[in-house]
Amino acid sequence: MGIRRTMISVALALASVSFAGISARAEDVKLVLWSLDRDIQPAPNLIKEFNAQNNGIQIEYRQLQFDDVVSEAMRAYSTGKAPDIIAIDNPNHAMFASRKAFLDLTDMILQSKVIKPENYFPGPLKSVMWDNKYYGVPKATNTIALYYNKDLFKAAGLDPEKPPQTWTDLVATAKKLTNPSKNIYGITFSAKANEEGTFQFLPWAQMGGATYKSINSEGAVNALTTWKQMLDEKLASPDTLTRSQWDSTATFNAGNAAMAISGPWEIDRMLSDAKFQWGTALLPVPSEGAQRSSAMGDFNWAIFSSTKHPKEAFKALEFFASKDATMYKNFGQLPARSDIPVPPTGNALKDSALKTFVEQLKYAQPRGPSPEWPKISKAIQDAIQAALTGQMAPKAALDQAAAKIKSIDG
Amino acid sequence: MKRVFSSVTDGRGFDLVLVGVPFTFLLALAGLPLLYNILMSFQEVDMFSLASVIRPFVGFKNYVDLFTEPETISILKNTVIFVVGSIAGQFLVGFSLALFFWINFPGASWLRGLFLVSWVMPGLVVGAIWNWILSGDFGVLNFLLQQTGLVGGNIFWRSDPNFSLWAVILANIWLGTSFNMILLATGLAAIPADLYEAAEMDGANAWQRFWTITLPMMRSTIGAIIALGLIFTLQQFDLFAAITDGGPNNSSNVAQYWAWDLSFRQYDFGKGATISVIMTVFVMFAATVYVRSTRHEVRG
Repeated sequence: MGIRRTMISVALALASVSFAGISARAEDVKLVLWSLDRDIQPAPNLIKEFNAQNNGIQIEYRQLQFDDVVSEAMRAYSTGKAPDIIAIDNPNHAMFASRKAFLDLTDMILQSKVIKPENYFPGPLKSVMWDNKYYGVPKATNTIALYYNKDLFKAAGLDPEKPPQTWTDLVATAKKLTNPSKNIYGITFSAKANEEGTFQFLPWAQMGGATYKSINSEGAVNALTTWKQMLDEKLASPDTLTRSQWDSTATFNAGNAAMAISGPWEIDRMLSDAKFQWGTALLPVPSEGAQRSSAMGDFNWAIFSSTKHPKEAFKALEFFASKDATMYKNFGQLPARSDIPVPPTGNALKDSALKTFVEQLKYAQPRGPSPEWPKISKAIQDAIQAALTGQMAPKAALDQAAAKIKSIDG
Repeated sequence: MKRVFSSVTDGRGFDLVLVGVPFTFLLALAGLPLLYNILMSFQEVDMFSLASVIRPFVGFKNYVDLFTEPETISILKNTVIFVVGSIAGQFLVGFSLALFFWINFPGASWLRGLFLVSWVMPGLVVGAIWNWILSGDFGVLNFLLQQTGLVGGNIFWRSDPNFSLWAVILANIWLGTSFNMILLATGLAAIPADLYEAAEMDGANAWQRFWTITLPMMRSTIGAIIALGLIFTLQQFDLFAAITDGGPNNSSNVAQYWAWDLSFRQYDFGKGATISVIMTVFVMFAATVYVRSTRHEVRG
């Protein structure tokens, strides 16, 4: 019995080997793709669909951890072992593009019938560009907006359908909502000493008319002063300085903060955790009619310039882009496309929140793009933290950051 | 040929093999990386030149740049405070516990073993738990302090620049105490009991016995534990990553965390290596002091 079973399994193994030999035809082009997507996220699923087409291109997938994406990619590239395609966090895109580690896709995109620049939101699109050329395709996108607790608004005598529109409004509203005796802060956000702090602060500076190159201009100083006011007057928890966006928003969900600034990744948890009525609004602006702005997160597709199969790799990107329409439905991520409406999910609260985020995405701006982004970001984080701890005045802190950025950026 | 063979099995060659194996091992796994690190600190290294050894030589530029940055001095100062504070705390609490369990009441050795649980836990888990304990608004520590009336309002352990470094030190003391205690307990057990009997007969009180017998007999154990403590605290990274991220405003940033931040967040590997070299110099200095202090040790 034992021997027979072994024989059968050997026979089966042989059969499956020969089957595999048949399905992977000799002329198949093999591509390697790296991303940090897990099994419920886009990359591995799209690859499965792509491979199932049997069009002579097979993609092999490797999953990376968040902290390893950049270092793994650069090590692989410098030793000549880079994958063909990678999903890279958008602020790191310019670092690779400026060194020509990514392939210039401009000509292929201009001829493509699937990937058309005009179909994308301007922010994500800008993040794949370097020197006016396209070095990638936006994979997905996200941004930040204002969440607010309608029940607490009512309790404080505020109109729950009128969220604050300007910074002054926001501070005044936060003041009314703050209630130390009930452990309620007016607002929560993140000013942590990592990329999250920059991610949250930069939109404020940009609404004030600044860019990272003019981070000490008046608008940015106003923005930082407003942040400082919210911390000094205890409208936001002092732990804002060390808490991530995810942890900060958890205090909103628990009813300990009446407003929160965060992104669409919060929606699902909020729907299950928040036991109150909540709404969303665009980020308040410095004064009525001022320009809007917001942060822009998420990853881009790029092809390494070392690939032997640029055409096939681009074909794969075209296939991925063709599936953008079902991205939210299948994976809960927002496509970076302005031509595709996010389909209704059947949950009114979720739909209205998504509507806010899609609207906010129109104003989302990439961080940089600059090949030296991590250092620039660090200078900005240092300024935020120096000002918010009261160790430097906002203006002085941002002056110092501006000097640093100038020496980094040239 | 035969002579060579017999020398290897029994003779000079055998000695050479004995020396050679650990030496090769050390050179390959510690020596070369160390030299490579020193080399990197004199080069401009970014992500694209990471794999090559020949890179633009910049002399002492990395060192000069580092010491002109405003945060450098305060980070080095923090490192010293962190190391001294952690070692002192771990040692004092560990020694007190070791002496306590030395009384040998029923279940003492059992309980002592249980203390090792804290040492077994991964740093990131410890960090996450202390993160909750130290949290400003809903932290357990603040709750206890307020209930006992020690403080009037919440202390923001993680986010107040006056406390953030001490918050990490507190967590690190908790993490390292049990290891100190176990090593010191074995040291205590090795002291011959007749010494105490003789002292007692001569009329020495408990305090005198501690100063004249226990401490001198424990000298090498204490030296070893402090040297190990120095190494462990300079390696401590997880707690910073989990509790403060070096913030706010670098008030809890230390050299080892900074080196990681420069290398793997800002991708400035040259500067990251430079900090590591500076740390190596410090550790070598401490190691020399340790070796010298135990060299003339009187045993037994």
